Amino acid sequence: MEEQQEVEQFMVPIGPQHPALKEPGHFLITVDGEIVTNAVVRLGYAHRGIEKATEERNWVRNLYLLERICGICSHIHATAYCLGLERLAEVEAPPRAQAIRVLVAELERIHSHMLWLGVAAHEAGFDSLFMYSWRDRETVMDLLENLTGNRVNYSANVLGGVKCDIDIVQADTIFMALEFLQERTRHYLDVVTSDAMFLQRTRGIGVMTRLQAEVLGVVGPTARASGVHRDIRAEAPYSAYPSYPVRVVCEEKGDLEARFVVRINELFESYRIIRLILEDLPPGELREKMPRRIREGETVSRVEAPRGELFYFIKSNGTDKPERIKVRTPTICNMMSVVKLAIGHQLADVPMILAGIDPCFSCNDRMIILERSHAKQEVWSWERLRQHGIEYYHGNHS
Amino acid sequence: MRFATMLSDVLPSLFKSPMTEMYPFERKEPPVHLRTLPSWKLEDCTGCGLCAMDCPSQAIEMIVLDKKAKRFVMCFHVDRCTFCAQCIYSCRQGCLEMTPENWELATLNKNALTLYYGDRVDVEEVLATAASSKDAQTTAG
Amino acid sequence: MEIIRDLIALLFFPSGLVLLVLSLFYEWVDRKLLAQFQNRIGPRWFQPFADVIKLLAKEEVIPQGVDRRLFIPLPIVGLAGVLTAAIYVPIMGMAPSHSFKGDLIVTVYLLSLLTLCMGLAGSNTIGRFSLVGATRTLTQLFSYEAPFLLALLGPAIVAGSWQISEITAYTENRWLLLTQPFGFLVALIGLMGKLELPPFDAPEAETEIVAGALTGYSGRGLALFHLGKGVEMLIGLTLIAAFYLGGVSNPLLFFVKTLALLLIMAGLQALLARLRIDQTVGVWWRYGALLVLVQWMVIIVSKGPVL
Repeated sequence: MEEQQEVEQFMVPIGPQHPALKEPGHFLITVDGEIVTNAVVRLGYAHRGIEKATEERNWVRNLYLLERICGICSHIHATAYCLGLERLAEVEAPPRAQAIRVLVAELERIHSHMLWLGVAAHEAGFDSLFMYSWRDRETVMDLLENLTGNRVNYSANVLGGVKCDIDIVQADTIFMALEFLQERTRHYLDVVTSDAMFLQRTRGIGVMTRLQAEVLGVVGPTARASGVHRDIRAEAPYSAYPSYPVRVVCEEKGDLEARFVVRINELFESYRIIRLILEDLPPGELREKMPRRIREGETVSRVEAPRGELFYFIKSNGTDKPERIKVRTPTICNMMSVVKLAIGHQLADVPMILAGIDPCFSCNDRMIILERSHAKQEVWSWERLRQHGIEYYHGNHS
Repeated sequence: MRFATMLSDVLPSLFKSPMTEMYPFERKEPPVHLRTLPSWKLEDCTGCGLCAMDCPSQAIEMIVLDKKAKRFVMCFHVDRCTFCAQCIYSCRQGCLEMTPENWELATLNKNALTLYYGDRVDVEEVLATAASSKDAQTTAG
Repeated sequence: MEIIRDLIALLFFPSGLVLLVLSLFYEWVDRKLLAQFQNRIGPRWFQPFADVIKLLAKEEVIPQGVDRRLFIPLPIVGLAGVLTAAIYVPIMGMAPSHSFKGDLIVTVYLLSLLTLCMGLAGSNTIGRFSLVGATRTLTQLFSYEAPFLLALLGPAIVAGSWQISEITAYTENRWLLLTQPFGFLVALIGLMGKLELPPFDAPEAETEIVAGALTGYSGRGLALFHLGKGVEMLIGLTLIAAFYLGGVSNPLLFFVKTLALLLIMAGLQALLARLRIDQTVGVWWRYGALLVLVQWMVIIVSKGPVL
């Protein structure tokens, strides 16, 4: 019976290797003509065993390992880790360091949203918007390089503070760049809300109602585009956000256009916060001394990454290495919405809907072993996990 | 609803030179805070090895020849370094520093990416031991 | 003598080698202009040549589940079709080397042959992307074909002939663009649809179906299809320039007018976002066909009964 059905259905596999996906992921899409009737997602192609690897490294080295979970929102990962660890160690980073952390995080949000704007435009076949938004993104990349010393994976954080300071010259550069970016962002907002050809691909496509968004547990700008008023920066302000309050950007319509509008309006919000910080940067130290061994205990750290809520669970056993670190990235929360929303749309809209959640596959790929029977619990070593990976993929090959 | 909203970008671009930087032919000044090769001051080093311990990519090897006589050699693997500058903040003596000068690190020779910092005599000794152990390995193999 | 003249016409000029080189040059101009519109550098002049030479030198992989008897000849037939079309067209401002009554229709259908071959090539495989791409290619063919043909027939009606050489003789120094603006618009945009250029690139939308109908092709087959597309673009530009822009009676006029058309085409590519295939069909039948029919009505009314 099942085999017979498979013959009748026309399935289009998207991925793991596909030009629409910048990272490996697999979508099996059943189509009837051009209409999608079913979609299945399979993740895990970019599983790197980072959580396990943290258990073999000391707290300091883990900062840089965790920063590499995501190439786009790297700083926010390091910040989440630092904030959690500082809470465990009962060390508080100085106010200036907190402000600079937020500043870098907002610059990173700008670069992430602009990158997304380009990618989403490219998925819609609007390459001019792609080229121009990435050209302008270069401005914020230069700012970050100027500020921290690296273009990506800035390593601006250090346990107990930050590495980089801001002087007047840098602040002026940032003010000037923001002026330019603000003008460009206004233009892009105009383009995505008024270009007739582009709106045909975004308006009314992939509509997610508020209820659906809440049921699917969607986070970040994707949820805010559906009218879910949720932003960690506003509802549980961390780091320096209490001093620089964030206005939550929301849209009601829930379609792709709303997601464009939310993300672009968030850019304006980021510009505003950066200006606030630069105008009123608290003086003082940049770093607080951090013990090498963290006292026993566990903590949870939540921050708002460009893609949504980022969640860290950190458990220490009193040594200089973590007992367990668990990361939940925003993409995994949003991924199911793609599968749900794709049904009933055209095949051509699937990449757009996927791009609409701003997916980051290697962020969300981690391994969970589900034991259906009540078998005994076991802990794998890093070596065992590595071996399992090699055998798993080798077995798949032959 | 309008058509051709990007016209204000596209049309002027026809008369503008491209944004792309012609890198090898035109070089910009590196940013002031750019992180590149770390430099190491032997005089202040106590050989504690914290930099090596905290290096996330294990790019630093601290070879201690004689701790009392302060004979250390720092073996630095440029190809592993991620330029995160953690070593600079881990060092209590402040003997490491990153400056934006030396940033074009591409080379065709992999050996050039392993740098030995330290006293000349000590470095030669380390290299000699490394060479002899390699010989021993090859004969054993 | 006749045979040698024919052979030169077929293998060297106007069809054949010169045409291939010229079409690659035009492809480079198109890519360069698009890059300039997007504030990029774009490829260097030899890039299209390098692409084709590389593809020709590569191993041709024949995927499982295809019919070899179709897979191998299809690119050859497609390229041969457009090359044949070239001998009826005033390439580089020279008079067409061959001409007969009604060759306009033959030329337009020879150009469609390439699209048809691509559609067949896609449906010949079992690859999903190719199949979806082939469906889209053929759907698109049926949407733009009629308006495009009607738009090219507009000048033919006022010239009172369906022979390209006679039409070009009539349009010489008559800018039909001024009297038939809708026809010109539909012809130019129809050419973009024919070449699957943005915004009509749904049949080969890389973010959805990789390379569309040609996903299964590599090496020589891909190179031949690629060349075929280039030649198609050149012939299309020549026809539009000759019919609507006051003729291409000498090489200078030819280059100026076709490159000007290419500039407009590259600008449109930069400005418009991709249409979904259903939207493409809608655009052509709702607006394209209507515009060109209105144009026809104006022509026929102003000219009086033709037939």
